[in-house]
Amino acid sequence: MKLFSQLFHDLDGLTKTNERLKRLAEYFKEADPVDSIWACWFLSGNRVKGAVKTRELREFVAVRTGYPDWVIEECYDRVGDLAETLSLLIGDNDSAQEPIHLHQAVSEHIKPLVYMDRQDRQDALSQTWNTLRSIDLLPFHKILTGGFRMGISKGNLCKALGMAGGIDPAIVAQRLAGSWTPDELSLQEILNPDETESRLCRPFPFCLAYPLQEESPGILGDPNDWQIEWKWDGIRAQLIKSEGKAMIWSRGDESIGDAFPEILEATKLLPDNVCLDGEILAWGHEGLRSFSRLQKRLGRKSPTASMLKREPVRFQAYDLLSLGGEDLRDLKMERRREKLERLISSLPNRFPVSISDVVEGNSWKDLEALREESRDRGVEGFMLKKKDSCYTPGRVKGTWYKWKIDPYLADMVVVSAQLGHGKRSNLYTDYTLAVRNEDGELVVVAKAYSGLTDKEIKEVDKIIRGSITGKFGPVRSVKPNLVFEIAFEGVQISKRHKSGVALRFPRINRWRRDKAPDQVDEVAIIKGYANDPTRQEEDGLKVDEDGNLLLF
Amino acid sequence: MRCDVLEMRPEGIYCPGGDFFVDPRGSVPRAVITHAHSDHARSGHGHYLCANSCKPLLRVRLGASASIESIPYGDSIQIGDARVSFHPAGHILGSAQIRIEVKGEVWVVSGDYKPQADRTCEAFELVKCHGFISECTFGLPVYKWPEEELIHQQVNQWWKANAEDDRPSLIFAYSLGKAQRILAGLESGIGKIFAHSAVCSFLEHYKSAGVDLPSVIKLGDKEKEHFGGSMIVAPPAVEDSRWAQRIRNCRKGFASGWMSIRGARRRRNVDRGFVLSDHADWPGLLEVIKGTEAEVVKLTHGNGDVLARYLQEMGINASVLNESFYVREEES
Repeated sequence: MKLFSQLFHDLDGLTKTNERLKRLAEYFKEADPVDSIWACWFLSGNRVKGAVKTRELREFVAVRTGYPDWVIEECYDRVGDLAETLSLLIGDNDSAQEPIHLHQAVSEHIKPLVYMDRQDRQDALSQTWNTLRSIDLLPFHKILTGGFRMGISKGNLCKALGMAGGIDPAIVAQRLAGSWTPDELSLQEILNPDETESRLCRPFPFCLAYPLQEESPGILGDPNDWQIEWKWDGIRAQLIKSEGKAMIWSRGDESIGDAFPEILEATKLLPDNVCLDGEILAWGHEGLRSFSRLQKRLGRKSPTASMLKREPVRFQAYDLLSLGGEDLRDLKMERRREKLERLISSLPNRFPVSISDVVEGNSWKDLEALREESRDRGVEGFMLKKKDSCYTPGRVKGTWYKWKIDPYLADMVVVSAQLGHGKRSNLYTDYTLAVRNEDGELVVVAKAYSGLTDKEIKEVDKIIRGSITGKFGPVRSVKPNLVFEIAFEGVQISKRHKSGVALRFPRINRWRRDKAPDQVDEVAIIKGYANDPTRQEEDGLKVDEDGNLLLF
Repeated sequence: MRCDVLEMRPEGIYCPGGDFFVDPRGSVPRAVITHAHSDHARSGHGHYLCANSCKPLLRVRLGASASIESIPYGDSIQIGDARVSFHPAGHILGSAQIRIEVKGEVWVVSGDYKPQADRTCEAFELVKCHGFISECTFGLPVYKWPEEELIHQQVNQWWKANAEDDRPSLIFAYSLGKAQRILAGLESGIGKIFAHSAVCSFLEHYKSAGVDLPSVIKLGDKEKEHFGGSMIVAPPAVEDSRWAQRIRNCRKGFASGWMSIRGARRRRNVDRGFVLSDHADWPGLLEVIKGTEAEVVKLTHGNGDVLARYLQEMGINASVLNESFYVREEES
């Protein structure tokens, strides 16, 4: 882990993106490709699954250090990062030997843990801790516990690899997309200067939309320059048929086709070597259904026949990225749209693959009026796509915008708080919020983490520290005092929650310093926002605001 | 606090036998002072008593008119029924633990302390006692300080690398104690060394106490220099001021025990954190508390709850000193 540990600590000390990119590129040039492919894999957010449970890891560290569990928990609370806490507790190692390679760390010290029983695992880790130098501890625990990216986004990883290999980062991005393991993909393949060789079975990096910040899209010029569609409340995905094989990829680069066999089946009527970008939606005989219906399909890998019948879905395509093996992303939006329409028109009606209709409007004012129907239609507003734009990876200003309907708002009071993690460790940044019920009592309806400025966070932290009334594990109950205006996208009626409601994407809109805790909203008002109050919310997978499936 | 020697009053720790306070706030007739940091040595009291090497620093803090008496470390002085002596705390120059004996019962008020090596102050001395009032700023096992030498090497390497890029190195460190400690570890010959006037006001006293310091240029408000390759040491309070902003293109470092945690360092938004503290780390706290053989341990400043419970589980009668009125700035 010699070079990797040094990379980790160097990146940790650099704050400027350019310096970080340069350092990362340097690593890829310098490191043994056998190691750096693992670095790529970990930096893509992967982990070796099932190596050790974090709870077990804490117990092992407790045994090794001789500290009681509660001391470890207190430390974790302070540090805000488990891997770092464990590394600090294990501390210096005088008996450390020659640094091991990253691929060795994985194949000899992490992977074997998966098949061991608890005692063997504890012994093996103990041995590993003796082997590692103290500088290796934190990076090792990071790859062991997973989900770390050293603050390197996927886009920046691709840029750094591109710099190291002297090739286009977009090509790197496509080669890295989808799920792969270091046994299947080599660094040489990723950095292969032959850019014509493309991997058809992998998704393209998704084109993302900027939120339209302004009240009105007037600044975008003539509405006729824009292709306007409803913004669907589903799961963003690419549907690919390559050499006869169909796949669906989520934006989390996870293959999710197994959950939607009817869509895979439908690709039989599509030409070969095609890639569609679109949205998976719950869609019954009556038309679009709510997102909570789609969630029922997400929970399981292969749905039963009755589930398929009860909860039908469709893939609503809005872009065509390749056809007949030809990459179409450099074509203008309007050209891609023509080709897409031609392709979809050959399919039957009421088919699991269909097209997202274009909305017509001659002025922004007309469109604004139409947008008011969004909630009734079960969509989130409009997508605005420049007709002469190419399909670019990531967010690029001026190509795609999401013009969302305004969120719901409600005033809520903070009733408990928890310390944040990472940059926000040691500050109370995670708030539990309540509103009043019919009897005037406070009932919890949401948790919110974001929306305040750094300055406000500090101020709120101080107030929370001064009003703590109780301690339940890491949670501190506080005297109801802070009132926040919370924005949220939707409401589900839920029996599991005491308040009877669950909110989608709650976040802090602003701090209502002018409001007293007895002026918060009533739960009945929030219940009224539920579009289908008779429906039960069910546990589903996590999906972010834009319908991107989050699997990590 | 239940003992005959000391009690808590709104102004702070009070000794009824000798009618004096230790590091009090407010205004009291007689104050016994552990060290010259502003949260321990406050102005407005009638008379001050401190250790000899603390006196000139206290004078800088309190001004010419304050009535300050001092005695050497180890000597004792009788105040009413109390016998009082000062013992090096290893925190900063002149810092002391205060030993107070009344009718055969001995209590020690630690002030701030560290048993680790520090070339800029008197080495910590362990004092056996019946009751020990200990600080516990870093009372969690995640706080373990590296060797002082290693940190000095890191600072010098960082400075050298910055100098090679012709960039200034700006280190933030508390103006009394930490700043001098950083200066004392600098290799001369890498570049010019500047310091903020708040740091400089204590330098001569460190030098006359025999501390080896490099030559330092006092940096006022206006001088416009080419700072490339220089080292500048300044208190954290000036971080966002124009004083610091004129030092263009600098890399910033911060020296503090808190820097051992990445989250804390990132919040500080500096390029580099140096783990250099003038407080005891976790092993240091345990070593000292056990070493005093105190039957009763009271904890102030910091993670008292955790350390108290941990000591209790080891069979030591420890508790957190109620300091609701004793609000203290964290070490910055």
